[in-house]
Amino acid sequence: MARLEDIPGPTRTAVATIDCPAFETTPFVSGPPLSKRRVAIVSSAALIERGDKPFDFGSGECRPLQRSANADDILISHVSINFDRAGYQRDINVVYPIDRLKHMAIDGLIGSVANTHYTVMGSTDPAAMVESADFIAAAFKADHVDAVVLAPV
Amino acid sequence: MLEERGLPTTVLALVLPQVEKTRPPRALMVPFMLGRPLGEPGDSDFQRRVLLQALRLLERTDGPVVLEHFPDDNPSHFDRPGWEPSVTLPPPGTYADADEWETAFRDELEAVIPAWERFEARFGRTTVGLSGQPLQDWPDCAASVLRGALPVVAPFESTALSVRFMCDDIKAMYGEAAQADGPAPSAGQIDRWFWRQTVAGQLLIALRAKAMESPNNGLKTVGGRFFVPAPYLPKG
Repeated sequence: MARLEDIPGPTRTAVATIDCPAFETTPFVSGPPLSKRRVAIVSSAALIERGDKPFDFGSGECRPLQRSANADDILISHVSINFDRAGYQRDINVVYPIDRLKHMAIDGLIGSVANTHYTVMGSTDPAAMVESADFIAAAFKADHVDAVVLAPV
Repeated sequence: MLEERGLPTTVLALVLPQVEKTRPPRALMVPFMLGRPLGEPGDSDFQRRVLLQALRLLERTDGPVVLEHFPDDNPSHFDRPGWEPSVTLPPPGTYADADEWETAFRDELEAVIPAWERFEARFGRTTVGLSGQPLQDWPDCAASVLRGALPVVAPFESTALSVRFMCDDIKAMYGEAAQADGPAPSAGQIDRWFWRQTVAGQLLIALRAKAMESPNNGLKTVGGRFFVPAPYLPKG
């Protein structure tokens, strides 16, 4: 895990003690071998394409990221200033591993890469994201996605 | 939430207490700092190992809760001995008023631009661009806030967000300039340089102090929380 001792004090306390939703069920959806799966990413970094307006604080919205988008024009607009940006400055894949997925598909490790990926503002109350979860799930199913990588920041 | 809707998920998890509370179906705990779930920038082999281990969890059949740990630190997690930023700047001074801040910041920006341009040429990207303001406008905007004005810059509709995202752009530009050449430093090395050894870092701390005194509640709140990270707040 991220070493809690490496996280500055107030942020360390916040991430370690934050209220998290308790899920009453423990769904566990099976699927085909990885080499047959269509994989999508959901990032909590509030990513935007250059020129788009940043996410509002506390927004429960989701935004699409097209597979064909230029990854070097994707920016973090997350409200928090207490996580690293230096890695992402050098390489978007450290946050949003779209190029890694594309190469894994070429090499046959996964079946294919989804046409559309999604991003949300990770600090938002999950209760405000229900509509977004419904929307993303429907979109992924329409694109025949059967594997989702969740990449928080 | 997606698994409940019928989609198999796997998470690159950064904070163990949150995983213990939420018990996602599949989680790979990674030992990286917040903000880099794939670990090492520019190292496709390392990132691929992380991603593949997380994806392999989708083939496990021993749910409903599967948790693994990624075994390795990413190389730039630790300070790089002897690292120096790619731009050499004189130490920041003390500035009596907004005019002096504006001049000092404008002069420093001129010195930083060449390294920032080298970064952009080397990596083919820049993360500057959230604020909608050209960098030539930053010194004037910052100085106006220090004078007590409340500038609003499109696409934002408030001073709080206009200044917040200008601060983000300033940090991005300096962070990129600092690592224009050579191997990746640690994030802490860049942060310590920016917040302790640049006019820009001191300016953002001054902007925060001014925001905290503002009658504009939005600026006061956003400035207090989102201009300067906790480790670099003034003592006392």
